[in-house]
Order: sequence, then C-alpha cells, then structure tokens
Amino acid sequence: MEAIFGNLIIGFGEVFRLQTITLPLIGAVPIPFNIFMCLVGALLGTLIGVLPGIGPVATIAMLLPITFNLNPTGALIMLAGIYYGAQYGGSTTAILVNLPGESSSVVTCLDGYQMARRGRAGPALAIAALGSFFAGCVATLIIAFAAPPLAEVALKFGPAEYFSLMVLGLVAATVLAHGSLIKAIAMVIFGLLLGIIGTDVNSGVLRFTFDIPELSDGIGFVVVAMGMFGTAEIIGNLELKENREIFTAKVSHLFPTKDDFKRAWAPVLRGTALGSALGILPGGGALLASFGAYTLEKKISKHPEQFGKGAIEGVAAPESANNAGAQTSFIPMLTLGIPGNAVMALMIGALMIQGIAPGPQVMNDKPQLFWGLIASMWVGNLMLVVLNLPLIGMWIKLLTVPYRYLYPSILVFMAIGVYSLSNNAFDVLIMAVFGILGYICVKLECEPAPMILGFILGPLMEENLRRAMLLSRGDPFVFISPSKPISLGFLIASAILLVIVALPTIRKKRDEAFAAEET
Amino acid sequence: MHIKRPKDFWAGLMFIGFGLFTVIWSLTHYQMGTAVRMGPGYFPVLLGGLLAVLGAAVFAESLLTAPPADSTPLQLPFNIVDMAIFIAVFAVCVWIAHAAGVSPDYGMLAGAAITSVLAILYRPNAQALVLLSAACVAYGYLMKPLGLVAATVALVFVSAFGGHEFKWKEVTILTVVLLVMSVVVFVKGLTLPFPICPQFVELCPIR
Repeated sequence: MEAIFGNLIIGFGEVFRLQTITLPLIGAVPIPFNIFMCLVGALLGTLIGVLPGIGPVATIAMLLPITFNLNPTGALIMLAGIYYGAQYGGSTTAILVNLPGESSSVVTCLDGYQMARRGRAGPALAIAALGSFFAGCVATLIIAFAAPPLAEVALKFGPAEYFSLMVLGLVAATVLAHGSLIKAIAMVIFGLLLGIIGTDVNSGVLRFTFDIPELSDGIGFVVVAMGMFGTAEIIGNLELKENREIFTAKVSHLFPTKDDFKRAWAPVLRGTALGSALGILPGGGALLASFGAYTLEKKISKHPEQFGKGAIEGVAAPESANNAGAQTSFIPMLTLGIPGNAVMALMIGALMIQGIAPGPQVMNDKPQLFWGLIASMWVGNLMLVVLNLPLIGMWIKLLTVPYRYLYPSILVFMAIGVYSLSNNAFDVLIMAVFGILGYICVKLECEPAPMILGFILGPLMEENLRRAMLLSRGDPFVFISPSKPISLGFLIASAILLVIVALPTIRKKRDEAFAAEET
Repeated sequence: MHIKRPKDFWAGLMFIGFGLFTVIWSLTHYQMGTAVRMGPGYFPVLLGGLLAVLGAAVFAESLLTAPPADSTPLQLPFNIVDMAIFIAVFAVCVWIAHAAGVSPDYGMLAGAAITSVLAILYRPNAQALVLLSAACVAYGYLMKPLGLVAATVALVFVSAFGGHEFKWKEVTILTVVLLVMSVVVFVKGLTLPFPICPQFVELCPIR
C-alpha cells in the first residue's frame, strides 16, 4: 500500500518536473514539459474524438514519427492523452449529432441524442464528462495497484507462456469482432502472415520481399494502420451522403438536476467496474466496454422501455465504461509488453522508437516513465473535464465544419506522417494499397481490427513458438503440459471462449447485441 | 451454381488465394526445417495452409447457406476485371519507365494519373476510392523530384475532386492553408527534411 503511494508520488513528481527546453527566439527556459505534453494529448484527443471519421489509431499513428524527437515520458503521456481524450470528445458528437465521433461512443448515440432532442443536451454532456472523470480516477488507481503484481508474475513467463497468452489475445480479438467467426479468424491469420514479410530474425532470409529493398525491414505497422483505419474510413465516409442534424442551437443549463444525479450514480459505478474489467482483457478496450455497459444497464433497469428514448443511465454507463476500459487496457501493455488493441500496439511502437523494450522489466528499469504515465492519466482526466464542460462551445463550433474541408486536411497530415517515417514514397504507396484493401474488407464484412492485432503479434508469436519448440526439443505438447500451468490456463481460456462463441444460442445473443449497437 | 452469399464468396476466394500463394511460395523458396529447429518456411506454410482451409470453409458456406435476413447486398463500385485493369495500368507504366531508362517513380505517377482519368470517365461511383488512393500515391512520388509544395497541391486537389462537391476557390484556399501549416509545423517546427521547392529551382523563397 505504502509502496504504491510512494510510486504515485514518484509519478506526480515526474509529471510536474521542470525541464529545460531550448525554444527558438527565447532561449533555454524551464517549463513543466510533461504537463504540457499531457495538455497537448488531451486537446488533440478531444479534437479527433469530436471529429467523426478520424480516430485515435490514425492520429497516434500520424504522430508516432514525431515522438522520436521527444523524451520517452513526454511522448507516452501525450499519446495516452489522445486515447482517453478521444473517449471524452466522442460523446460530444454522439449526443449532439447522433454520429459516433469515436467508435466507442456508438451506444451513447442511442440515448444521448434523444436527450438532446428533448432539450437536455447539457445534462447529457455533463453526465458523460463527469462519469468519464470518475471512471478515469478509478482506473488510474486500478492500474497503480494491479500493475506491480502482474509484472511480477510476467517476469516468470517463458516463451511457451508468451505464445499461449498471445493466442488468448488473438482469440479474444476474434470473439469481439462483428459477424462471422471464421472470417475473423481468417483475418487474424492474414494479419499474422503480413507480419512475416521482411527479414527472418533467426536465419536472415528475406521472406516475401519479392526483391523490393524497401520490404526487407517488413511493412511498418503505422503504414498499415493508417491505410486500414485512415484512408479506408475516409473513402467509406465519402460514399455516404452528408446528412447531419446538429443540436448546436443552445446547450443551456449544463448542470444536471438532482434527479439526474440520483439516477446516474449507480450506472456510473457499474460502468466503471465493468469497463475496467473488460479493458484488461486482451483484445478488449474502450469499444467493448461501452457496449457491454449499455447492455448491462438495459438488462437490470426497472424501466428498460425508457432506453433509447433519452434515459440518462444509457449515457452515464457506457461513457464511464469506455473511459475506464481505455485506461485499463494499458495494463497488459505496460506489464506484459503485449498490446491488447491497435492503440496499445502503437504505444509499444512508441516505446521501441525510444529504444525501450516493452515488457515487465520496464516498471523496474524506468520507474519514472511508468509511474509518470500513470500519474499523468489522472492529471489528464482533470484537464479533460475542464476542456469538455466549460469549453464545450468551442468543440460544438468544430462540428459545423463540412467534411469536404476536413478530409483533404486529414489526408495531408497522414501523408506527411507516413512519408516522414523513412523519407520514402514507397510507404505512402503501401498506405494507399492498404486503404484499398481495407475498403474491400469492410465491403466483404471482414473486420480489419483482428487483422491488425495479428499483424502486430505475428513476429512475436513466431519467435516465441520457435524458442518454445527448441527448448522442448520439438514436443508440441509443451504448451499444454502440467509443468506449465500458466500456458495451459491461457489455452484452456482460449478454447472456452471459442466454444462459447460457437454455441448457437450465445451466437444469436451476440448477433442481437451487435445489431442493437448498429441501429 | 447460384451464389447465395456474394460477400462470403469473394472473401473466401481472397483467403484461399492468399493462403495457397503463401504455401506454394514458401515451399519453393524457403527451407522448412524441423519442429525443433524451424526454418524460415515453417510458420508461413502452417499459417498459409490454415488460411486456405478457413477460406475454403467460408467459400463453401457462401454457396450452400442462405444469407442472414438482415444482411445488405454486396455493393462494390468496381468488378474484378476493373481491378485487373487497374493493376495492369500501373505495371505497364512502371515497365515503360524502366524500359525508357527513367526512374520507375515516374511510372507510378503516370499510373496514378491514368487510373484517375479512367475512374472519372467510366466508374464515377469508384471515384472516391481511386482518386483518394491516387492522390496519396502522387504525394509520395512527387515529393522527391518536385518538393512539398507540388506534392501538397496535387494531394489536396485530386482528393477534393474525389468528393461530392468541388469548388476551385474553396480548394485553393484550403491548399494554401494546409501548405502554410505543413511548412511551419512540420518542416520548420519539427525539422522534417522535406524539400519545399522543386530540385531545379535554384532560388527557393523558403529554405
């Protein structure tokens, strides 16, 4: 207990530390640089959360090359701020425009927009922000308490355990995907195969490079993510006709009534709890958390008929849950070095750019980075409440900017980001190719998210598989032998997950749930 | 035979194609090794085989089972022949550039231009897809010879043309704003080593 608070004090010390920065014209000045980065992240996160058509994945991918020039702590603090900031911003668009500004606020549209239509946009926005803030505080504490023991366990992991854990993560990702389970698994394998492209670390053989020198280092994850989530999404948006009805007229009396608070506090608590739990799961994160919390509230509510007609519970629960999930999804990344979703994969990319190998040792080797990041989350959440409540008018103005100005701008920033990776046109070409591929995949109802996770984990999985097999002298049963209970446990969990989803009754439920999410 | 689920039909074919290609390529090019000491071919053959099997399952399902009631029909603004032509245009352009002894980059630029014109003329529904992709390609391959200004102008104009509305005045203003931002934030602020002006312009106003 005391150790945790000692660590948090280290973290806050790091967040508020003055750093001497040389500015052009002014010269060297001491400024609390990490706080500044936190503010930049929170602002950017809110911005892209509010704007539909660009999410945290594309934004973080865009900024990744730039973080090379920053210190590691500042870079991670900023990138983390973008992820949870987007959860705040996304609710604004969902409530006022009935469009999910961010994929994790899809369910907020259902009741939030109805509240806005009844002139209660203010309370809806306030409850969403306050619920998110509460969830953010709790999730920060959960990370602080859960991370050290988990990292302790993770230090004992061998290649077999890592391999099995990654299998669990990939299975979880397929279970969470929409639509056909077989197609989701196929997409994961497709991603794993794409991850193989490049030089084989064990033999030095160039695999699937087809004599193209640029491919010898493999395809950059950033490039794939920008194509699949960036350009593909813009193209998809352009095919839809612009049709928005915005309740910007007046967001008056922001503060919720006493009755609102009475109805919302329990859903906020439940949403936070569920979101935190779902966020830790590999393959989880904000998206699953918000949707799970909404379903739960509707199930246990005494007035389920009010849902979809402006029930404040339907805003409070998912908005708390998505913020909690966004933050707790840092736990597997920080303690195990395994990304649970695409954003965490980018975080790992950011660590590697800085020359830090992700894994359980980061906490001991770089306590300032680790605890600074955690402390910054609390500070960032505080900033976000201020950014989203008093300054809400500024974000509403942004929503009136037509998409025909937005998308060329987004494209310019993406192109600059990708080109600057290695000053090479080839990366931009690959981004365009993956944009087309992502577009086709969406049309064929093949989810890109599991593919991205497979792509990230591909090289790691192959390496651990090879090592485990080498250590066991080619015995494939090493993963399920009783001498490796952790590995066995992960694989059993994966098998149970797959069986559960494949069962017809649950399958139907899952389809219904996703259908409810889409309407 | 009647295809009951066109989406699964094409998805299945795609997976089978990728899977089989991986298996055959790995078997002919890389060493398999043994389970103890896996060669570079082991993992890809394993995965490629699995992908092909899963693809076959999706494919079979598409022919045999009826689509779910709430499914929307597959709507692609192009067909498989268009795709082949699209790829062939790029291949031919790069080959001509290679044969003519100039950089294949110019071949890519020509390919982007030709496919864009083809899409505008014959496939207006695929305009967003083709023009946005071509705009990105143009940006990348224009950067080295002509610099940031030309690349940005090409990217903004071509991509804006792919949208619903195109007004010269608006797009010009947008281009200028984005150019100023690119230069100030990225080239000056973050010191990215992008050339701003074309190589042959000796006296660039901003260096």
